Amino acid sequence: MTKARRALAAAAALGLLTVGGCSGSDDSSKSASGTITYWLWDTFQQPQYQACADAFHAANPQYKVKITQYGWDDYWNTLTSAFVSGTAPDTFISHLSYYPQYAAQSQLLDITEQVKKDNVDLSQYQNGLADLWVDQQGRRFGLPKDFDTVALFYNTKKVEEAGVKTEDLQNLTWNPTDGGTYERLIARLTVDKNGKRGDEPGFDKTKVATYGLGLNSSGGGFGQTEWSQYAFSTGWTHGDKTPWPTRFNYDDPRFKQTIAWFRSLVDRGYMPTLAIASSGVNQMDAYGAGKYAMVTEGSWNTKSYWDLKGVKSGIAPTPIGPIGKRASMINGLADNIYAGTKNPEGAWQWVKFLASPACQQDIVAKQGIVFPAMKTATVEAERAFAAKQIDVAPFTVHIKENTTTLAPIADHWADISALMTETMDSILSGKSGVDSLDGANRKVNEFLKK
Amino acid sequence: MAIASTPQAGADLTPPPPGRPRSVRPDRRGVPWGRIAGWATLVVVMIVTLVPFYWMLRTSLSNTRALAAGSGELLPVDFTLGAYKRVLGLSTTAEAVSEGGSGASVNFWLYLRNSVIVATLVTAGQVFFSAMAAYAFARLSWPGRDTVFFLFLSALMIPPIFTTLPNFILIKDLGLLNTYLGIVLPGLLMTPFAVFFLRQFFLNASHELEEAARIDGAGHARIFLRIIVPLNQAPITTLAILTYITAWNDYFWPLLVGKSENVRVLTVALGVFQAQTQRGTPDWAGLMAATLIAALPIMVLFAVFGRRVINSIGFTGIK
Amino acid sequence: MSTATRARRYRDVPAALIFVGPAAVGFLTFYLWPAIRGFYLSLTDFSLLSAPEFIGLENYERLIGDHLFWNALLVTLEYVVINIAVQTVFAVLLAVLMHRLTRSMTIRSIVLLPYLIANVIAALVWYSMLDYQTGVVNQLLEWLSVDRVAFFGETTTAIPTIALVNTWRHVGYTALLVFAGLQAIPKQVYEAAAMDGASEWKTFWRVTLPLLRPVMALVLVLTVIGSFQVFDTVAVTTTGGPINATRVIYYYIFEQAFARFDFGYASAMSFALFVILAGVAYAQLRLTRASQSDLS
Repeated sequence: MTKARRALAAAAALGLLTVGGCSGSDDSSKSASGTITYWLWDTFQQPQYQACADAFHAANPQYKVKITQYGWDDYWNTLTSAFVSGTAPDTFISHLSYYPQYAAQSQLLDITEQVKKDNVDLSQYQNGLADLWVDQQGRRFGLPKDFDTVALFYNTKKVEEAGVKTEDLQNLTWNPTDGGTYERLIARLTVDKNGKRGDEPGFDKTKVATYGLGLNSSGGGFGQTEWSQYAFSTGWTHGDKTPWPTRFNYDDPRFKQTIAWFRSLVDRGYMPTLAIASSGVNQMDAYGAGKYAMVTEGSWNTKSYWDLKGVKSGIAPTPIGPIGKRASMINGLADNIYAGTKNPEGAWQWVKFLASPACQQDIVAKQGIVFPAMKTATVEAERAFAAKQIDVAPFTVHIKENTTTLAPIADHWADISALMTETMDSILSGKSGVDSLDGANRKVNEFLKK
Repeated sequence: MAIASTPQAGADLTPPPPGRPRSVRPDRRGVPWGRIAGWATLVVVMIVTLVPFYWMLRTSLSNTRALAAGSGELLPVDFTLGAYKRVLGLSTTAEAVSEGGSGASVNFWLYLRNSVIVATLVTAGQVFFSAMAAYAFARLSWPGRDTVFFLFLSALMIPPIFTTLPNFILIKDLGLLNTYLGIVLPGLLMTPFAVFFLRQFFLNASHELEEAARIDGAGHARIFLRIIVPLNQAPITTLAILTYITAWNDYFWPLLVGKSENVRVLTVALGVFQAQTQRGTPDWAGLMAATLIAALPIMVLFAVFGRRVINSIGFTGIK
Repeated sequence: MSTATRARRYRDVPAALIFVGPAAVGFLTFYLWPAIRGFYLSLTDFSLLSAPEFIGLENYERLIGDHLFWNALLVTLEYVVINIAVQTVFAVLLAVLMHRLTRSMTIRSIVLLPYLIANVIAALVWYSMLDYQTGVVNQLLEWLSVDRVAFFGETTTAIPTIALVNTWRHVGYTALLVFAGLQAIPKQVYEAAAMDGASEWKTFWRVTLPLLRPVMALVLVLTVIGSFQVFDTVAVTTTGGPINATRVIYYYIFEQAFARFDFGYASAMSFALFVILAGVAYAQLRLTRASQSDLS
């Protein structure tokens, strides 16, 4: 069955194609000749991509790009509905947790041939990023757009009050047994209502005023900013290979030890319980309110942290783990092309432009909001951040020292994620032990065999 | 306005003197404990109702970036009218961004107009056609009436997930995407709620008046417009207000079918104040300002038409 | 049945067709037809984006063995019971107070205010107000020397919290429906009761409530059905957590359809929910004899 016919059949299943005799795959993906539609979710990045669109139009006057923005909560539902009805945009920003499903449902345009024909150099992007957008059959659906890594954000005033020097934050060590200097720092930064610190006698862990380390969520099966930086530094990885693992490693002793340690921070009162952390405002707002002295965060949020009034922040690299190196997950976005686009050539030209130095290096990098995927653009982005008094070296150190691990990407990720979120929530809230990971991992691996 | 079209028919009936509910007699003991307790309860309920609104107002007058640090303050944090400027599309991108907004362009008055058009059409159509159906279910006798009614009623229980996507495809196939008609069509002819609600009240209306009119040779249209509708002015107005609010607040449907600028309604447009990224923080001040401003037109509407609910109290005394 | 009534029964048919016509078109097009398609899809393996494949009752078999489905039903039931109980009591109380004490438009408007705010916003406001560490409610609790509570965060308190937040938003709406019913009660009834020397309390139980029955039936049927469909509040606050404590049936259906692309299974659950709701509504209507009125 052809893609168009499958889409048609799906649309027919849901609705009333017979009415008016219209077919499910006409119009709307292209509103006017030469106009390419593009969807994104982040308004803060809209200006920079609008600038790219203008530059693209200047270089290719026959094409015009029309950008539409939907907030994250609406983006994927709207996109899915648009696929179903054949009204999806020609191009859109895509995410690793969604694209494999869309690809499997034949909604995305395979751009392998175009990449080959136009000699797009895949080595110009940060290592591994380009591989994330190739599925198991070897079909490529996107070119890397940006990348992100993880680091520590700390409240400079609280660090100072604890008598900790910022230099001491640069070479923290960690291990799952006693937590190393990293845990000692977290303990030191924790303060109870009576002003006693976490490493002092008489510390009351039931009445904590400021937690040494904030908590975002249990991290589910992903753990990007929550625990992946620790687990990776033991040599653990999510699966046997990435992308597309054939089995997951959630039952690995190193992972279990890491999670047991992570959970122990809650028991010691150095990190909030999951209940507290998920009771209302998110990690950034709690940090802004002075409830957390330090948090682990992704580079995409850097500007938002700097924008918080009343809190001055610094960034430090993630701790050095048992394998003698730091670790961070590296992840990134890409642009996908809708398989039903009426203008595949224009869409490809636009996507190619978005992945080129003209957009990433000359425009996006200069905004200092995200790190573009191109290696040559990183320096430019560092400079742009520095101009805003932000030293982002703790993020890029992982690139320089080659300590990044690719984000896991797998089939059935939605199922895996749902199961692992339940499991990790349960462990982190003390309702089950880390050994429950054995059973969960078995089920996860069953999903992969489907 | 839409709502006026239905109750206006009541002009034919002599309006009774403004109906006053009988004042509650004080307890025989002299001290009206019951009234005091009643008022106390009302006051407590009012407070619980209003506190979150104060919080929204306070947040809307704050600087989004300063809100986290000032989370415990009862007054606006770093007072500014910036959020309202953002909502009304009066601030520059730089101003908006400096206070934690997105700088996305907001064409407020256009979206307001669109919301008014959509909510008015939906309310007028839905209330009128549902009232007609309710009349047939409550006052006419025809075979299969109750079966059809229960079928209608069962639509209440159809999960919207069944209907949203097919309706979206239907609207698209009819070529009505990004038109007012496309946005209002699914709610224009009926909702099970409206039919059920009005039928319940129509059942109660006096039969004598109807019979008298029938003897005078009045047809169904006349009985419906001149007797049933005026007699039930209070519930109809209540329904109209609720329908208007629901239509006004509708979000996901207009997001799907009416994204283009010329028909975009307020709720959809104000989505730019919500969280933009996964687990991101919304522009709190902007979101609250947007919410309060978007609620204003309905408050005005309620203040105007709500009077009708009260003034119509006397009508029920006719029988 | 006499011939006269029989004649009358059919006399109204042409008028009935005209009066029900427009609504019937809307019903058939936007409710019945999609629902029938939905039922068909529940018998298929359908990923939304490719053609459905007929698989018979497989989705329903899966549903019976799916502990998350049953959990979702239980969680939803807990929500409905709390939400409806609190909401109904307060709505009737409010309506009666408004009816007997004051004609103030201001009070009436204030009561309806929360309904003017979209569900999602109401949920977000309460979510931030109830935060354990920074929420103003918890600061008040501490000031009153009461321990802070992670309202949305604990498995035990999350559902009651969501139920009460939605009560806050809907109680005015419900009160207004009840109020409309109170207005339909002739004043003479109250005058007669007062003449007999009945107290307010007695009048309420002996006169008001029985006469309110048809409206109460309506209100209960509507609010119970609406309550089963709770979704927005969960979606913007707990997203089903902690663990599965707030994974209400609607949210679970939504996840299956839009996050897992298992529309066939989502349809099967929707249909199961439809049957349950229809059963509940039917029972309610029977129990309250909603179609009859004591007034007519």
